[in-house]
Amino acid sequence: MPLVSALNISKTYGQFSALSDVSFEIEQGITGLLGANGAGKTTMLGMIIGLHAPTSGTLEVLGHNPWTAGPAVRERLGYAPEHHTLPPDMPAVEFVRHVAELHGLPKDEAATRASDALWLVDLGEERFRSMGTMSTGQRQRVKLAQAIAHDPNLILLDEPTDGLDPVQRDAMLDLIRHVSSEIGINVILSSHLLDEVEKICDSVVIIGNGVTLAAGKLDELRNTDSTGVVLELDANDEQVEWVLTYLRAHGLQAAANRRRITVEGTDETVFDITRDACVTGDIGIVRLGPRSLSLEDVFLEQLG
Amino acid sequence: MTDAQIFDQGYRTYSGPRTGLRGALRSLVIASLRATLGLGRKARHKIIPILTIAISYLPAIVILGIVVLLGEVTADEANYYGYYDGVISIAVVLMVAFMVPQLLCTDRRTGLLGVYLASPLNRPTYLLGKAITAVILLLTVTLGPPLIVLLGYSLQGVGPDGFTNWVETFAKIILSSLVLGIFLTSIGLAISATTDRWGTATATIIGVLIASGIVTGLLVEESDLSPAIRLFSLVSLPLQLIHRIHNDEGFWTYSENPTWSLWLAFFGWVLASLAFVWSRYRTLLVRR
Repeated sequence: MPLVSALNISKTYGQFSALSDVSFEIEQGITGLLGANGAGKTTMLGMIIGLHAPTSGTLEVLGHNPWTAGPAVRERLGYAPEHHTLPPDMPAVEFVRHVAELHGLPKDEAATRASDALWLVDLGEERFRSMGTMSTGQRQRVKLAQAIAHDPNLILLDEPTDGLDPVQRDAMLDLIRHVSSEIGINVILSSHLLDEVEKICDSVVIIGNGVTLAAGKLDELRNTDSTGVVLELDANDEQVEWVLTYLRAHGLQAAANRRRITVEGTDETVFDITRDACVTGDIGIVRLGPRSLSLEDVFLEQLG
Repeated sequence: MTDAQIFDQGYRTYSGPRTGLRGALRSLVIASLRATLGLGRKARHKIIPILTIAISYLPAIVILGIVVLLGEVTADEANYYGYYDGVISIAVVLMVAFMVPQLLCTDRRTGLLGVYLASPLNRPTYLLGKAITAVILLLTVTLGPPLIVLLGYSLQGVGPDGFTNWVETFAKIILSSLVLGIFLTSIGLAISATTDRWGTATATIIGVLIASGIVTGLLVEESDLSPAIRLFSLVSLPLQLIHRIHNDEGFWTYSENPTWSLWLAFFGWVLASLAFVWSRYRTLLVRR
């Protein structure tokens, strides 16, 4: 059974359509919820939590409708919000314990697990510090700790690396990977950063302009089994068209997306012919390589 | 030398029972009470709560002390509602103004509301928890002092005559405290629902409570408008109702307002305030 199943979900606010006919399934592991700012990610997260109902469509989270069975669903969900303004006077351990209690843990168990969770995110020594005195990186870790302390089936992390420097960011991504692979908690990672999603996610749901652009296993989306080459040119439209004509004249199937040309074929000569096209036309090459799509390629391809 | 070894148990899973919505509500109420009373916080957060509680309890203790030492009160003279007119009303206004806004405004301002609504709580149960917290806070200053006086009088032999009278007086004290607590909680929550800044809410609550008394008084006295206008005086209305609960005529200014009109106004204000709070939170965009 999928953790989250969305079928033809739409959400409108008056005349504004935030989501339109969105469908996807989220399985075990880490799933990236990708999209540009304003794409509808936050609306989707809000519906998964059960904060608002879809205008139409069917949504199931952990086998329940989160709108009608909200408390039962949210008891098994962890959530780390995007913003950093946690109660400044409250010690981290008290905050994490309180959230664990809110999710149904008895008092003593919540206290124990709050400490455990803070040790896990490397804040054990700092657990009695007020959150107002903590750095952004430490507050991000507190948010992760409060999301996992009650041992949920699924946690939703909204931009968990926001405000972190590259070193902190890598450490946070390692931590999220650890939470998923070692502790067995499933993760939905909402982000607009393709590279971090690509780095740790098993699956991805890409939302753009309120619709599902792509959804599935990352490997499948990147189409690693595909053949051919990808050519990215430093060229104008006319030169791109010239290269396409050259390739087709040599019997290859080729398609262009702006300055990026995808060439089909299994023969080793495909690479040579493509290179020759650029040399003959005296056209600059930005990238020429096997056709293994990056997440950015997938994203751009889907955006058209 | 022993053979004992420490093993790393790793991160443990939890498969025990969960307390559900009831546990979430209890946790919310306890955490809100602790935060508002400044428990577990720096000393500066405790000043207002201590001051408020001291203001409300000290006179009751002093009065009781006089009775014990001098025995100057008889059973006929003892009353259990006069305290509400003076010091308790000041303490209640202080508590409503300084503590009730912290219950709502701070959660919105710090984004904690989003965390709460991602737990088994939803908007109605969250608001219910906050309302329960506010009533508990107000009961500490409205219920405690008259109960101390009742028990003190009873121990000194100047309390209500007979068991029935004692129970009746006890019930009236409970009802009076609830009337004052619920009324001002509703007003405080309604004003707190309008802003994320608790300082602004505090100033507005004090302003509205004081202004309502002055304006309604002026309208009735100077402009000869209906005495029913006094039902818009937000401090004296519940105090007057408390007098009527204790079968006392109360303030002369309310003599033309029958008791049923006071109850009608009471429920009208409470329901309107709570409906306003709900309308604000029903459509509130939760920051995440």
